[in-house]
Amino acid sequence: MQRMLVAVAVLVLSLAIASVALGGVYTYAGPKQWSAGQGAGSYYSPDWLANYFATYGSGYDKTVTFIDNKQYAWHNTVRNTKSVTETYSDYGMTDKGHCKAHVTGFWGSCSVR
Amino acid sequence: MTRRTRRWAILAVAGVLTFTLAGAVVAARFGASGDVETLIAAERSAPLLRVADIGAGNGKPARGVFAQITSSGHFCLWDAVSASSPQRQGGCDPVEDPLGGRLLSASLAYEGGPAAVDVSDARLVGLVAASVAGVQVLMSDGTRREVLLKKASLGGEGFQAFGFRFGRADLRRGVGPTAVIAVDETGEEVDRQPTGFAG
Repeated sequence: MQRMLVAVAVLVLSLAIASVALGGVYTYAGPKQWSAGQGAGSYYSPDWLANYFATYGSGYDKTVTFIDNKQYAWHNTVRNTKSVTETYSDYGMTDKGHCKAHVTGFWGSCSVR
Repeated sequence: MTRRTRRWAILAVAGVLTFTLAGAVVAARFGASGDVETLIAAERSAPLLRVADIGAGNGKPARGVFAQITSSGHFCLWDAVSASSPQRQGGCDPVEDPLGGRLLSASLAYEGGPAAVDVSDARLVGLVAASVAGVQVLMSDGTRREVLLKKASLGGEGFQAFGFRFGRADLRRGVGPTAVIAVDETGEEVDRQPTGFAG
């Protein structure tokens, strides 16, 4: 039983990592309805290239950023109301994607690649 | 069937089931972000047009404001060092509505924070309708900054673009933008977009 659980865990983790390593997009929040002040974050990785907050329709005030794993400072933050808000990660930095809504009642999802 | 063989059979079945389940989860995630993936691919191939400038400052080099119309049907506006740089900050709207149904569409980019006093560089890029006479930035201390507009023809339509870098004196005092305001010839406000450091 123990062996089976380990095998299952390894398999799931491998698939998740492989999907990102293959150049895919990892959606870390949503699609869901957002409220003002609500935020979400991915896991830390040195491999992230960009962070996206995509909404159904435009005009919704929101932020995307990367937070480093040392000072927990925000880097390359972008705030706007576009249907897709986008920023990039600095090369060589271990960080996590973070997104935040500033208004209530819209649908959207946050992704990193 | 021996006990050992049965254990391996169970493990194999569990493996297949897990594979299927994990695949479905991954597929669902890809499906949810399908639009973003299409946009990412389209961004790579579409050319960028420089529509305004951002002066050097805060120890950082000059940058540009770039417009991009992609094959995925998006109009993107970027704050970037150059047209060839993959390190872009901004976003995209449907190409048929670059201003998102408004007269003004702005994008704030900053480094540091989230507390305002920890922000080391901050820039604003944006686009306004041709009918707008001026753009001002309302700061957290109540003062305003005038933004220079530059005419831009995009997709056969007339707009005005702008790029603006906030000064170190403001950032050191923890003073940041709270709103971007579009005004008409009489100075009357015609559109407003809230903004600011998002701590």
